[in-house]
Amino acid sequence: MMQQLQTKRSLSAYMVQRPRTKRPFSAHIHRLVLLLLLVINIYPLLWMILNSLKTEQELSLNPFGVARKPMWSNYIEAWKVAKLGPYLVNSITVTLASVVLTLLVGALAAFFLSRFEFKAKSFMLVYFTFGMLIPIHATLVPLFIEMRTLNLMDNRLTLLLPYTAFNLPITIFILAGFMNAFPKEVEEAGIVDGCSVMGIFGRLILPMLTPALATAFIINFLNNWNEFSFALVLISDSALKTLPLGLANFAGQYNRSYTLQMAGLTIVLVPTLLFYLSVQKYLTAGMTAGAVKG
Amino acid sequence: MQIFLRRKWIIAAGLLPAVLIYTMFSIYPILSSVYYSLFKWDGFSPKQWHGLQNYVNLIGDGVFWQSIRNNLYFVLFSVLGEIPLGLYLAIMLNGKLFRRNGIFRTVFFMPVVISTIVVSLIWNMFYNYQFGLVNTALRAFGLEHWAQNWLGNPKLAIFVLCIVVVWQYTGLYMVIFLAALQNVPSEVLEAAELDGAVGLKRTWNIVVPIIADTIFASVVLCISGALRAFDLIYIMTNGGPSHSTEVGATYMFTQTFNSTKYGYGSAISTAIIIISFGLIMISQFIMRSLKR
Repeated sequence: MMQQLQTKRSLSAYMVQRPRTKRPFSAHIHRLVLLLLLVINIYPLLWMILNSLKTEQELSLNPFGVARKPMWSNYIEAWKVAKLGPYLVNSITVTLASVVLTLLVGALAAFFLSRFEFKAKSFMLVYFTFGMLIPIHATLVPLFIEMRTLNLMDNRLTLLLPYTAFNLPITIFILAGFMNAFPKEVEEAGIVDGCSVMGIFGRLILPMLTPALATAFIINFLNNWNEFSFALVLISDSALKTLPLGLANFAGQYNRSYTLQMAGLTIVLVPTLLFYLSVQKYLTAGMTAGAVKG
Repeated sequence: MQIFLRRKWIIAAGLLPAVLIYTMFSIYPILSSVYYSLFKWDGFSPKQWHGLQNYVNLIGDGVFWQSIRNNLYFVLFSVLGEIPLGLYLAIMLNGKLFRRNGIFRTVFFMPVVISTIVVSLIWNMFYNYQFGLVNTALRAFGLEHWAQNWLGNPKLAIFVLCIVVVWQYTGLYMVIFLAALQNVPSEVLEAAELDGAVGLKRTWNIVVPIIADTIFASVVLCISGALRAFDLIYIMTNGGPSHSTEVGATYMFTQTFNSTKYGYGSAISTAIIIISFGLIMISQFIMRSLKR
């Protein structure tokens, strides 16, 4: 099989390589366009990071270029004034708790949806697909009312269940899609070994699911980490606010001190980017399965 | 498998937690918003039955229609901007020219993972009248009279926001298309890549039909994504100046929480859902007839 594929490939390579003409003109244009887009993608971030080290005066006089004398004090002040520390703790708590709950509950549901046959199966799949299509912000108002009725507002756990609910559909689809490819022999081996259903799930399926779990973890993490509107509506106690909420507040209050804002944004941006760079392999690979954003 | 069939309750128990959480915090709110939309309610005092009056008011509400029109701009810019651009990038990055340059893929996807709040605040400064990059650049090129308060111009503001949306989400579609392209046999693509001048056009003609299903799915995703727009507008313009950048979600938000019209806000929620599904159905219809 592999060999066949290789011969096929070399054959086509041979065909492609006929007269080795020089690079066509259009190749240069494409290269130029992509480089330009590269700059457009990076520059706004770079511009902000560079400017975060200036004084207000230097920013308005010279918005391009590097700061003459880097003002690291901007960062110290931003960290203090914006109370980024407590917000960071809140964000990490809420994000991780929701991700763990979503993965646990989602993996279990995906296991039954993928590996079992039952009457309501196709209905359940449609039911969960629905969740990926609804404009989620349409639930802002009713969810606010619901949480108020349940007395769940302004609580450490307030965002846990909504975040889990929003991310369950995509998580289930990524995990179930991955599990569909497992051979039937997995369960058969489990039965021979005398495993219970949960034993098969825990001891056989879960370990095989690790790559998909990693992808789902990252997508969930980023979604929750960045979520703003539900936190805005459901959390009013400033001790419980998450990072995006804190940033928005900070920018509103200090809307004249731009360099301070830029320093605060950089503090939040850089860890997110580092996280992205370290996990991007799993992220982009796993998008294939779900091919959906949260 | 025999052993499992007898244990229906295990299946039910395994699905229960997911179904319960999802139903309570995603599906139930939608249904309850239909219910609340039939009342006149300030959120605190007892609800007053209002029948369909909220919807009658909604139909006569100019700001509501303006917000829907802005939502449609978002849909249009997303579908016609992000998807073709994403497809172009995917074809390029999958081709021989750039295949080895992982940095392009990394950088093009980067804006997708950044919090919309951070993106909005950065672009706010970008568009800033005084030191913003756009105006500074215009002044540098002697186009002083073009420099302006971009987000304060009611005619331009919504398009200025659309650019940010395209900037943020193009990478998502690039990655989705890239994944689809990797399943296309390489001979097909290499043959298509053969000669220069018509290379892209030919690739386009060959590739697009092959990954048509992925493109269709992306269009649906794009529509529901564009109708979710909230954070960006809330931070950058808050619907202003004079409602010129209002979208469904922001209008719902201000009507509910600032004007405490909970019933009316719920009617807007319901309308957003109906419009969203309507658009998805229309797009499905168009794409199905395109396929034939």
